[in-house]
Amino acid sequence: MILLELGLYFALLSLLTFGGVSSVIPEMQRYVVDVKGWTTAADFMQLFAVAQAAPGPNVLITSLIGYRVAGFAGSIVALLATCVPAGVLAWCLSGLWDRWRGSPWRSVVQRALAPLVVGLIAAGGYIIATPHAPDWRLWLIAGGTAAAMLATRLNPLWILAAGGVAGALLL
Amino acid sequence: MNPGVTPPRSLGELFLGFLSIGARSFGGVLPWAYQAMVEERRWLTHADFTETIGLCQVLPGPNIGNASIVLGKRWFGLRGAIVAFLGLFALPYFWVLGLALLYTQWADHPLVTAVVTGVGASGAGLFLATAVKLGRPIAGKPAAMVLIAGCFLAIAIARVSLLVVMPVAVALGMFLARKRLL
Repeated sequence: MILLELGLYFALLSLLTFGGVSSVIPEMQRYVVDVKGWTTAADFMQLFAVAQAAPGPNVLITSLIGYRVAGFAGSIVALLATCVPAGVLAWCLSGLWDRWRGSPWRSVVQRALAPLVVGLIAAGGYIIATPHAPDWRLWLIAGGTAAAMLATRLNPLWILAAGGVAGALLL
Repeated sequence: MNPGVTPPRSLGELFLGFLSIGARSFGGVLPWAYQAMVEERRWLTHADFTETIGLCQVLPGPNIGNASIVLGKRWFGLRGAIVAFLGLFALPYFWVLGLALLYTQWADHPLVTAVVTGVGASGAGLFLATAVKLGRPIAGKPAAMVLIAGCFLAIAIARVSLLVVMPVAVALGMFLARKRLL
């Protein structure tokens, strides 16, 4: 039952997704590529690229993985499994959060999670840009993008487009 | 309630508002969500928006998906949460799937593969830039740098499962934050 397996895994991941979907990209890739062999690392990178280039929440990468693994049903199951468990938790805690306004725990939780999220997002960048052995051309595009993003106020979409042009020229 | 602010009056208005956010969110949803809800429709104040997003960033799950559920609930209860969530994802879901199908048609073409791989590497670069932006405010704290490096090495290089790394890192982070080292 691949749908069930897909659903349960993404539901579990849903509750581990701190700091946005970016932080669980490495874990998703590890499971989908290394553990399950549902796609290759190069294929995962390309699904990621499509999800980045399309408008919309970046959680939609899960529906692309679901689609690749189990068709339309897979795409819906993966998306809902990623959103609903965390959504239910957010539903339950949103009242509590208001009541905790000014509580020292809010600040402790925020400070505790910050370094974790930074480490995980950086790991996501590294893993996506290194689908096989290190390739200087991919690292150059990734590094150039990061520099452009930090130095300018361009919409990321233009920077992604430049990355596509660089890919056409270099790869 | 702030006098300059009018929450959505009907489920239809809520749906259309989130639909318009999903439809235009090129390159990240957050700025567009702000534009639509705070600047155009005036559903929320700036402070309210920041507070809600802050909650959704601390909680697990896709931030903007959570925000749609929390805001929908606040205005219309369970029906609102479902309607806002569906509105947000209705168009982007089909667009991303359409784009993926289109890409599959052309995937054998080496130039197309090269362009898409370039976009992927570029997307990885966006992640690195995000990590730098989020890391800057805490870069002066040695404990934070150790935790960042530890997470990176465990996940990216050693490829340890997040199910192992997460509990350890959260426990360590909470301990260090309580000791005021983070």
